[in-house]
Amino acid sequence: MLLSLTGICVVAGAVLAAVNNLTAGSIVASKAAALETAIKAVTPEFNNKPSEESYMVATPEGDSLRIYPAKMDGQFVGAAVESFSKKGFSGEIKVIVGFDTEGKLCNYSVLQHAETPGLGAKMQEWFRTDKNKQSIIGRKLDTNGLKVTKDGGDVDAITAATISSRAFLDAVNRAYSAYAGTDAVGGATSSK
Amino acid sequence: MEEKKMSNLKVLLNGLLKENPTFVLLLGMCPTLGTTSSAMNGLSMGLATTFVLICSNIVISAVKKLIPDLVRIPAYIVIIATFVTVVQLCMEAYTPALYASLGLYIPLIVVNCIVLGRAESFAAKNGVVASAFDGIGIGLGFTWALALLGACRELLGSGKLFGVTLMPEEYGSLIFILAPGAFIVLGYLIAIVNKLRKA
Amino acid sequence: MENSLYVSPSPHIHSGDSISKNMYGVLIALIPAFLVSLYYFGLGALIVTLISVVSCVLFEYLIQKFLMKKEPTICDGSAILTGVLLAFNLPSNLPFWIIMIGALAAIGIGKMTFGGLGNNIFNPALVGRVFLLISFPAQMTTWPLVDATSAFPLTYTDAQTGATVLSLLNEGVAELPSHMDLLAGCRGGSLGEVSAIALLLGFAYMLWKKIITWHVPVTIIVTVFAFTGIMHLVNPAEYASPFIHVLSGGLMLGAIFMATDYVTSPMTKKGQILYAVGIGLLTAIIRLFGSYPEGMSFAILIMNALTPLINAYVKPKHFGEK
Repeated sequence: MLLSLTGICVVAGAVLAAVNNLTAGSIVASKAAALETAIKAVTPEFNNKPSEESYMVATPEGDSLRIYPAKMDGQFVGAAVESFSKKGFSGEIKVIVGFDTEGKLCNYSVLQHAETPGLGAKMQEWFRTDKNKQSIIGRKLDTNGLKVTKDGGDVDAITAATISSRAFLDAVNRAYSAYAGTDAVGGATSSK
Repeated sequence: MEEKKMSNLKVLLNGLLKENPTFVLLLGMCPTLGTTSSAMNGLSMGLATTFVLICSNIVISAVKKLIPDLVRIPAYIVIIATFVTVVQLCMEAYTPALYASLGLYIPLIVVNCIVLGRAESFAAKNGVVASAFDGIGIGLGFTWALALLGACRELLGSGKLFGVTLMPEEYGSLIFILAPGAFIVLGYLIAIVNKLRKA
Repeated sequence: MENSLYVSPSPHIHSGDSISKNMYGVLIALIPAFLVSLYYFGLGALIVTLISVVSCVLFEYLIQKFLMKKEPTICDGSAILTGVLLAFNLPSNLPFWIIMIGALAAIGIGKMTFGGLGNNIFNPALVGRVFLLISFPAQMTTWPLVDATSAFPLTYTDAQTGATVLSLLNEGVAELPSHMDLLAGCRGGSLGEVSAIALLLGFAYMLWKKIITWHVPVTIIVTVFAFTGIMHLVNPAEYASPFIHVLSGGLMLGAIFMATDYVTSPMTKKGQILYAVGIGLLTAIIRLFGSYPEGMSFAILIMNALTPLINAYVKPKHFGEK
């Protein structure tokens, strides 16, 4: 009894170890590729390896965010900031936001969310659609942050999903406040 | 179970319709409801389960003589869990997009009643070849049920089928993508399949 | 029954009550609310109600005739009532095809799947409404704005839209309409829910005609008032006053016309009070702590599901039993 169960476990362990060995490289590579694609999508063109040069920055609010600096031939051109918000309709929202050196928002990508499909889940597309005051692409952020029109800001919230929209902008603003803290804005090139 | 004298072909067909795990046995409802938000997800989940089912059926029927009765359940679980982990690792490595949408449910195959149920009720009593056929039959029965459920939900919910838009998305009823829609569609599908089966 | 020797249990005296008489009585009671909605929402209210009623009756007829192969019973008024109640739970600018999907869900899923009138577990109109609320959240939560000065506006899907009192509360916006506006119905919302006075008028009519008793509606309103009142006293900044809660949203409409549905509410008075307290508590909890601004329809559906259980535990006393 003991013997057979032990035997099965040993064989199972060996099989798993072998498969793990075989796939570990691919898993790491595919994760890195996904991150690389996300960074590439949101920052100005670069030719360094932002994922290897990434560092953490604390925001004035006390959060710690990861920043991926983008450089073209050694010249700092912008950065991608991984940010989050806990104000979503359901669960945490994770985004990656890219800024250029002037603090203009280049692009964004929603990495993870659990918002309602058809409502809050539209944020991946909504805030880049050039319609009315929806799009936040190309906007120059300042310390006041972006706000939905309902709160006196100038960004149109997703129809019937004000809470998700607020949470999304909260994540974007957090990203900016971390980025501003790196004093990379305004052409200063110190990236560390 | 009385399948002892059944031919392999019969064993195979048995799982596809007569003892269809989803529509007739009503086993494995958690992944059935949870993963079928699109036809592709349903199909992939079904195929992943089929793979685990075939492998575990073969191995369990091959080693059944070595396992004492008292520890057979833990032994089966270890064998099943091993194959599930293999599927999970391979999926994460080679199809990351699919893993992102199904990842949560893959480990649940371990506790899927279908897999353990077939191990206990079929593989433990039959030979390797018959068990393999049973795994294929039940697995594909599960797969077509999930794919059908996923297809209905995807079409009604977002107007697409396997990602191809058939009608404008704003005409889709979101409820079918969400959990209540899964229950509603599954209920009607079971009713229809049972009606056809008895006709 | 063709058998002339049919023997039925007592009582043998017929009061003249019938399904259709009660159904039409409820419909009459809904007239004041309908008139108010015509005043505020105009053409849209008329169109939505018509489409909803016609499609409910049509789907009932088709399903009974071709799927169940029974003699259609659309004349008993129950499908018409479902249609009106469904329409009363919808915004007046809803596109026609969404209303038809709602009618199909109400009649097909909510009623006929269970075997038709008398066998349904859930209130069909609410099944339709919740189905639409989850399916088309954007369209279902943008309400036409009302303007007290213009009677019978000729707008349908082109109406200006805004939020309801409860969604404003849920999103934490401070400006709310006055109590008087809430009573009269000058606010955004579904067709039939806007005017508390008109709904109370219908309630009085149904009490007078003995179509329903006071137990369920009054208990629901008292429960919600008490619960939100306590929360308001504890923290007035966070929780709105109980008057706002009782007068806004679908509370009145739900308490008077939806929760009192014969088929889906308990049989005994004691059971009804238990059921109504449940609805009131769930509504208040969903409104105050949930992510949906409005909890009435969910609360009624949940308590509908518990009704068989309540019936099983709170049994009517047999005559002569101690």
